[in-house]
Amino acid sequence: MFSGDRRNGFGRKSDAPLGALLLFLVSGILLLSSLYAAEASLFRKARESVLEAAAPILPIFSVPAQFLQDVFGNVEEYFFVLEQNKSLREEIDALRQWERDARDLREVIAAYEALGYYVPPPDQKPVNAVVIGESNDAFVHTMVVNVGRNDNVAPGQAVVDDRGLVGRIVHAAPNASRVLLLKDVQSNVPVYVEESEVEGILAGRTKAEPAIDFTRFDDLDRVQAGQRVLTSGAGGTLPRGLAVGTVSRVTEKEARVRLDANYARTRIVRVIKYQFPLIQNDTDGMENVGDEQDGSVGEDGEDAMPQDADIALGQTSGSEQPAPLVPLDDNQDN
Amino acid sequence: MYAARAENLFHLFRSAAPTLLGVMGVLLLASPIRLAQGYVPTPLIPLVVVYFWSIYSPASLPAFGVFLIGIFHDLMTGGPLGLWSTIYLFTYYIVVSQRTYFQGRDQQVVWLGFVTVSAIASLILWGVMSLLSGARLPIGGLVLQMLVTTAIYPVIAVFFAQFHRRILVEG
Repeated sequence: MFSGDRRNGFGRKSDAPLGALLLFLVSGILLLSSLYAAEASLFRKARESVLEAAAPILPIFSVPAQFLQDVFGNVEEYFFVLEQNKSLREEIDALRQWERDARDLREVIAAYEALGYYVPPPDQKPVNAVVIGESNDAFVHTMVVNVGRNDNVAPGQAVVDDRGLVGRIVHAAPNASRVLLLKDVQSNVPVYVEESEVEGILAGRTKAEPAIDFTRFDDLDRVQAGQRVLTSGAGGTLPRGLAVGTVSRVTEKEARVRLDANYARTRIVRVIKYQFPLIQNDTDGMENVGDEQDGSVGEDGEDAMPQDADIALGQTSGSEQPAPLVPLDDNQDN
Repeated sequence: MYAARAENLFHLFRSAAPTLLGVMGVLLLASPIRLAQGYVPTPLIPLVVVYFWSIYSPASLPAFGVFLIGIFHDLMTGGPLGLWSTIYLFTYYIVVSQRTYFQGRDQQVVWLGFVTVSAIASLILWGVMSLLSGARLPIGGLVLQMLVTTAIYPVIAVFFAQFHRRILVEG
């Protein structure tokens, strides 16, 4: 079988299968249709079904590799124990200072709370998850986690690890979900730069460092390397203040961001179930949003903000005493 | 009776084995293996499966099997549906149409053929993804992944050749 007697010249056709050509055309049509209807219910269901079916199998493939990596990783770490000890001690010293500051601030907040000036931000209910898969693709950057609709995980929710924001849920099967990472070209997350207070959209560039697109070009002058980047909460799908990264360099058009999350080490993550806060005394708004809740979050996650939220906020802007912001009742999460 | 049934099952396995290997390649690709702390991308084993059986035994890997591997790959990564099936079927069509050239040649020639096919597949992938995203995407990551795949090809090809000869042909 491996010894072909005939040796035709390269470029001469032989046995060209017609079936392959037909299926090639079918694939092309699928590709074009997925361009216009990427979130069509048929495609979404197919993705979720395959995700659900593959979820129990995926860990089997990664366990041996993980075991080997742990063994070699441990051996490697023995050589750096002294250095690591030193840097950890320094880090502890710095963290002690932060702990003192945090305790002081907590007292200040408690004082404001007692006076009724402060309303805490809405609760973020995290769900712990393990990364069981990832795309390993040059252009599509996603991860698969082992929680899904059965754990009340829905598209649009933020996924964080111990360092910062990892991405957002894009597909949720009953027991597995797909996370779109921040560096994917389709990822757009509203962020703001601390210190300069400039808002923008963090857009993936399929490189390690995504870039912030600013709506105003003069904002770029205020942004400097080293400033922290956090989620702004604009759009209402993500909570405000999740750590994203640090500005690494500012070019003529955009600011590059070094992400806090290290995708090569992300194993355990938290999915943050967040509801956009609404005005308590706006009964109409609450009723309408209750209807919205039944429909869950929008398909693409970006347009998932309750439609009445703007109106509800707008109604209070004219009043003398702003009504406290409270989270939606969390019945649906329980 | 049992022997006949077992033979039927084995026959079924033989006809589906390369497709199953491709599916396993996709599962391996979708696992968080992270070679060398994530600096080395996971090789594209399904591309090797498609190339190898397109040359040596397209009858064992029908076009529909290639289509299935591609669709499964798309569904697992979450990318546009039809992208990888287009790439794999294009590879399949080109290689099957040239298979008489490759048969009986040195492994180096076959390997060079794989390098060429990988380069063409990369260009198509990059072009389609750039068109779909509306921006000229960086190609560095893809080149690195294809380099790793082509570097590992000779090793996998030896394993596949043994598998094909001992199980699919002689078994």
